[in-house]
Amino acid sequence: MSLFRNTKKRKLNKIKAKPLVPSKVMEEHSDTPTSSSLKETEELIKEILGENDDLDIKYFKIFGQYNAALFYFPNLVNIEIINIDILKPLMYVPEHLIGREKPLPQLIDLILNEALYHCQARIESNIEKLIEVLLRGETVICIDGIQEAIHIGTRSIEKRSIAQPETEQVILGPREGFIENIATNIALLRYRLPTADFQVKTMNIGRLTKSTVAYCYLKGIANETVIKEVEKRLSEIDIDAIMDVGYLEQFIEDNPFSPFPQTQSTERPDRTVANLIEGRVAILVDGSPFALMVPVVFNQFYQTTEDYSSRFLMGSFVRMARILALVFSLVFPSLYVSLISFNPELLPTEFAVAVAGGRAGVPFPAVFEVLIIEVAMEVLREATVRLPKQVGGALSIVGVLVIGQAAVEAGLSSPITVVVIAITTIGSFATPAYSAAFALRMLRFPIMIMAGIFGLYGVVIGIIFIFNHMLSLKSFGVPYMAPVSPEDYQGVKDVVFRSPLWWMPKRPNFLHPDNRNRLKKNNNTVLKHSKIGNDQREGLNNGGSERNHNTSNIDNLN
Amino acid sequence: MGDPKEITTLQTSTILISTIIGVGVLPLPLFAVRAGDTGAPLVTLSGIALAAIGLFIITVLGMRHPEKTIITYSQEILGKWMGRFCSLFVIFFFLILTGLASREFGEVVVSAVLRETPLEVTVIVMLLLACLSCRNNINVFSYIHNFYVPMILAPAMIVVVLSLKNANVLYLRPLIGTNFYDMFTGMLTISALFQGTFIITMIIPSMKTPNKALKASFWGISISGGLYLLLVIATVAVFGPEEIKQIFWPTLELARTTTVPGNILQRLDVIFLAVWVTAVFTTLFSSYFFTIHSIKEICHLKDHKMLSYFILPFVFILAMVPKDILQLYEVIQYVGRAGLLITIFYPGSLLLIDFIKGWRKKKSVSQQL
Repeated sequence: MSLFRNTKKRKLNKIKAKPLVPSKVMEEHSDTPTSSSLKETEELIKEILGENDDLDIKYFKIFGQYNAALFYFPNLVNIEIINIDILKPLMYVPEHLIGREKPLPQLIDLILNEALYHCQARIESNIEKLIEVLLRGETVICIDGIQEAIHIGTRSIEKRSIAQPETEQVILGPREGFIENIATNIALLRYRLPTADFQVKTMNIGRLTKSTVAYCYLKGIANETVIKEVEKRLSEIDIDAIMDVGYLEQFIEDNPFSPFPQTQSTERPDRTVANLIEGRVAILVDGSPFALMVPVVFNQFYQTTEDYSSRFLMGSFVRMARILALVFSLVFPSLYVSLISFNPELLPTEFAVAVAGGRAGVPFPAVFEVLIIEVAMEVLREATVRLPKQVGGALSIVGVLVIGQAAVEAGLSSPITVVVIAITTIGSFATPAYSAAFALRMLRFPIMIMAGIFGLYGVVIGIIFIFNHMLSLKSFGVPYMAPVSPEDYQGVKDVVFRSPLWWMPKRPNFLHPDNRNRLKKNNNTVLKHSKIGNDQREGLNNGGSERNHNTSNIDNLN
Repeated sequence: MGDPKEITTLQTSTILISTIIGVGVLPLPLFAVRAGDTGAPLVTLSGIALAAIGLFIITVLGMRHPEKTIITYSQEILGKWMGRFCSLFVIFFFLILTGLASREFGEVVVSAVLRETPLEVTVIVMLLLACLSCRNNINVFSYIHNFYVPMILAPAMIVVVLSLKNANVLYLRPLIGTNFYDMFTGMLTISALFQGTFIITMIIPSMKTPNKALKASFWGISISGGLYLLLVIATVAVFGPEEIKQIFWPTLELARTTTVPGNILQRLDVIFLAVWVTAVFTTLFSSYFFTIHSIKEICHLKDHKMLSYFILPFVFILAMVPKDILQLYEVIQYVGRAGLLITIFYPGSLLLIDFIKGWRKKKSVSQQL
């Protein structure tokens, strides 16, 4: 027995002999409290972080009496704060403390409550936690003879300024976009929602990145089961790194194999707030300028915030144009293929003749022709995204104009094919949500092949298949095609046509919000104005009185 | 069966509408005219009435047993083995119905649109579509039907409205046909087109409020029946009874004669057929779904997903049995009329026995008191 024990011990020794990874050392010391001796603490920290050349240790004497050391990463902290707000009051005894006795046991209290000019100073005695906050940019002060250490939030990271969101442009509406820093992003949300119901919950995900993940919702509006489900799915994630909100998306979505996005990511704080108010949950990650919204339904991928901020007729008109673009981007090439190669008799005769004339020199069947141009278009599109901006413009001109023209002249494709592909491509750009546009962009190819084999029948089969898939999708328990099917009376007012805001007094039911009232009854003064004051017919009838009313107003002004 | 009960009344009606409107739309005027000449609308109306009676019987039965389908409550009413024995007939009948519908669809596609494509390919593509969609649960089933209803109703209505400018009212007179025996069989044939309504027995257990099933089935049959009636009237008024007898699919011919103003599209029939594919899909989907769910219930299976693939070859073989289109239509008419025994007579007798049983129970309870 003893022999075995020995070998075991030796094995253990062998493992120990190998230099451990700093994080493993940290784990080993996770339970050990800091020592009261400054030297021991310093050695421990050095053992864990000693190899880093960017760790700075500054020795000094507190109030000229007690030995202390300051640990910090100079690149992560604001040096000015350390100098003026921390070192100065500690080294140069403040006026109100002159002459007072400063015994060691009360020193910490004295420093925290009377000396330091910093609101984020806290006490910690666990070495693992100290290292963690040190790595996040805080400053740690260890004092000889005192077991606890003080850590102070001095983090200062470079961040870009708030800019206009690049992926979701609007004409009317706010111009702010999220940035990478999560604190700023939460501030952007809080600024728009100064209500006690707005809740922010944070957690850290990622074994290496330890990214801060925040999920926000409006209590009393968002459905409790959805919030719980979000929390559950987030807490189940165990991965080394979360670099962007897209990493989370892939872990929490319902059906990873579907081409359709089941979460919506947005760069716009106003859009996020609008979704929160509808009863959704927003997920933010430190380091990502996108917020993730769940649960989603399909129709919100072609809606923009502009639809609501502009007048309802404008909003509805634009939305219908967008739906048309969406349909085009999915079926236009395949309709073209099936009409040309299976049912030319559907086209008006003159046009059919023109099409045939254009195709006279093209050797391939229509499917191949369209597929070739489509693939070329995809390559071009990807190239324009990756290329530096200065070259991008030139490439798009060369690619689209020159190659397109040359392809037609060389007999590779007919001019009408180029027109069709151009409309399709432009159509897919009109969809506000990039991920949804991408789904339809991908699905275009199988439908095109179906059209090549079965004509219109194939197109319809393909579309039925896609719709059936969409109807069977669910996002956090909400059917994807709601409010169309399953039907929802309130929600359907906002699908194709953006109804006036006063027609939608209730929140759509498909998100199962806990509180459904959007408008308060009988309190909408805007409505009364538009009915009494601005009615043109009434103005004609009571022209005189109205004029009187106006003049009196002017008198008041004067 | 663990799905939440959330099918609404509207969804139930739309399921019925899209189930009823299907392959039958195309030959419907032919069936009606063969039976009643100018009396075709009357034949259609009586067919609808008969189908409505059948639908109400099965709905009332379902409402008396809101937790069960015909497969399970028949075992309660008739006894375990007798009920199972009868259910076997029901399942087999719907298996045949699925096969015939897909075959009829394939024949239309092959002769009207894709002339060089083999019949087998079009049939199997359609069956595959239904088979894959059947893997979903009953709630998704209702979403799918609900979603497609406007797309099914709209083109038929458009064709009817646009064709009315060629209509001749004289073709519709006299209103009553001459041969009453023919009219009777025609009525049976037409009400056989409504056999898909049997699906309601599968839906009632998953409805939010099963009490409203009767209202749902009323709206379902009146909207789809109304559309059928309009189609027959429009077709007869445009072509006249004598010409219709020469055409296999008068409704398709009707779509062919209509044109859209503005000369955007030269012809409408192909577009009509393309949309009609959706209608056929929903019908097939319903009968396929009914078949696999009945099998699931009779065998007490927990999952129907694999079963959906397993049934596919059988349906396909059944679809390929008729030799040609003429034989196919003969078979369809015979099977349809025989099927009325299953879809109307069988539930009718079940309801009668159930009533008697309930009455006896009440009597014995009151005697005990």
